[in-house]
Amino acid sequence: MRERLAQLDVRRRAFDAVASPVGASIVLAILVAGVVITVSGANPFTAYSEMWSGAVTGNGPRTLINRAIPIVGLGLAVSIPFRTGIINIGIEGSMVVGGFAASIVAINLEAPGIVVMIAACLAGAGAGAFWSLLPALAQTELQLPILISGLLLNEPARALTSYLTKNYFADPAATSTSTRQIPIPARIPSVGWVLDASATLFVVLGLVVLIALFNNRTAPGYQNFISGLNLRFSRYGGVNSKRQIVASMVVGGAIAGVVGAHLVLGQAFRFVDGDLAGTGFAWTGLLVCLLAANRAVPILVAGVLFAGLQVGGLAMQRNAGVSSQLAQVIQAVLILALAMRVIIIRRRNRPVPAEVR
Amino acid sequence: MFDRLFDAALLDSVVRATVPILLAALGGLICERAGIFQISLEGTMLVGAFTAVSVSYATGNAYVGVLAAMIAGALVSLLLAYGCVTRRGDPIVIGIAINLLAVGVTGFLLPQFFDVRGVFQSPKIIGLHRYAIPGLSEIPVIGPTLFRMAVPAYIAFALVPALWVVLFRTPLGLRLRGVGERPGAAATRGVPVVRYQYLAVVASGVLAGLAGAQLSLGNVVQFAENMSAGRGWIAVVAVLLGRAHPYGVLAACALFGVAEGLGFRLQGNGLAVQITDALPWVVTLVALLLARKQFSRLIDLTGRAT
Repeated sequence: MRERLAQLDVRRRAFDAVASPVGASIVLAILVAGVVITVSGANPFTAYSEMWSGAVTGNGPRTLINRAIPIVGLGLAVSIPFRTGIINIGIEGSMVVGGFAASIVAINLEAPGIVVMIAACLAGAGAGAFWSLLPALAQTELQLPILISGLLLNEPARALTSYLTKNYFADPAATSTSTRQIPIPARIPSVGWVLDASATLFVVLGLVVLIALFNNRTAPGYQNFISGLNLRFSRYGGVNSKRQIVASMVVGGAIAGVVGAHLVLGQAFRFVDGDLAGTGFAWTGLLVCLLAANRAVPILVAGVLFAGLQVGGLAMQRNAGVSSQLAQVIQAVLILALAMRVIIIRRRNRPVPAEVR
Repeated sequence: MFDRLFDAALLDSVVRATVPILLAALGGLICERAGIFQISLEGTMLVGAFTAVSVSYATGNAYVGVLAAMIAGALVSLLLAYGCVTRRGDPIVIGIAINLLAVGVTGFLLPQFFDVRGVFQSPKIIGLHRYAIPGLSEIPVIGPTLFRMAVPAYIAFALVPALWVVLFRTPLGLRLRGVGERPGAAATRGVPVVRYQYLAVVASGVLAGLAGAQLSLGNVVQFAENMSAGRGWIAVVAVLLGRAHPYGVLAACALFGVAEGLGFRLQGNGLAVQITDALPWVVTLVALLLARKQFSRLIDLTGRAT
């Protein structure tokens, strides 16, 4: 049934933009980046071998897991509305307000450590959900597309949290605009037997399983999938598209808020103005979601791959003198190749509209 | 209060803020009319800014830098044209990938070429000269600003009426709009749809590259990582807000220019930097909500109608 419905795809959305062979695109991206390295005057073989060993040896795997946590988390956050056909590039705003809300709760709540931690993460989820609710309502109630309003709300999120931090919650001892430190009992601990990575790893893995089950085993998950394929068809079948938009955006925003909370409670131990947005994790999460074609388990795999690229890129910069920005080049070329469907092995059931040829 | 706010210096910062956005937005407008959703303006602009600075540094001539930026912009836009016209890929996905690619490539080449991180400044980068129009530049208040600008700024303002004429008074414009609105009908009338779309995308690349050059050789004389700083996205919104009409787009760009210029000025008067940072984005959002037009085509393109 699902295969039959997939053939009904008349709008050639991003779903099948990323349906061409992933492996071939990865090879192409590595080749293109190799050319870029050569042009810049370095040796691509040295650079790539430093990249590889930086990601898998020494402290690499631990850093890799810790970097994969926010990337996979945000990939999942993007994937939920994306499955219904909504590209949300406002997830960064949700992450930022989520991290801010979590830091305020964690600093000011007097309670046992674990209670503070959970309350802070819930506050992050709530704030993130609220920030994503705004563009959702803008689309359902005011016909302003989420793509635009979500994007426009990213910078205000940064400015708002920066303003509040500076004027009400600033740590006078800190050199940058930031809150006071999170008390030690409320910090998210590292777990020894998973290479000393952050405990949030288990939350992310749990989310992957939950979202995979939701997508593949429940009626609303199936309805989301169908709406992403063909909106009119799904509405004809009785799917309430407004409710679906709002619900998927809110859930995605909540997950992004938790990622923000993790970055504050588990890594920086304080909210530093501009730090969360500066990571670029929101964009990486979107790329990961595209690479994985919105499926939860592939998002985990793609997230680990991109985290490895970034961690290896930093090692390459230290040891081979090649800028770590190369990782971003590889990621972008990879998605570009996929979206262009540069490598096409077969093209079935996709008639090229005659009117344009 | 008001006489301290509104003066020639304010007008100058408004124009400075408007010009790069306007150049990029006019490119976006051409694409929109040809039926292609162009959101890679941000990245194209960044590549243009980087190329302009690099070539000006290498040759010692600002105009060679500007020309190189336009060529670089055209090359970047060919990625979009190939991806979405020839390969029929998703314009939004391709646009986002191009933007991230631009950040990556410029951020990668900056330390490799010039051995600096973050910001590249050098006395060897030659900036754009501002030319005064004799007579007109003597007009009080507006003269020293509007008639004493760098070449890309004159091009930007001259293009507004020129594009209006081309779009609405020439066969070329008619065909271009036909391609955007009814590609099938245009093809039936013998219009080479693919060629028109390629031309439109490349034109937008040239303009976005020029916008980048104005940013890095006109507004300032330096390159900073990610220096387009959302201007390309604002240009995308300006096309929507101005309903892809040259004068509408000019008005929208001027609105953002005023928001940014005024914010810059208010910051000098003690307003928090965060508020002035957010001002252009909030003004944009409010303007879009007030315009309340039906973005049905775009909602359809971005996923769903409501």
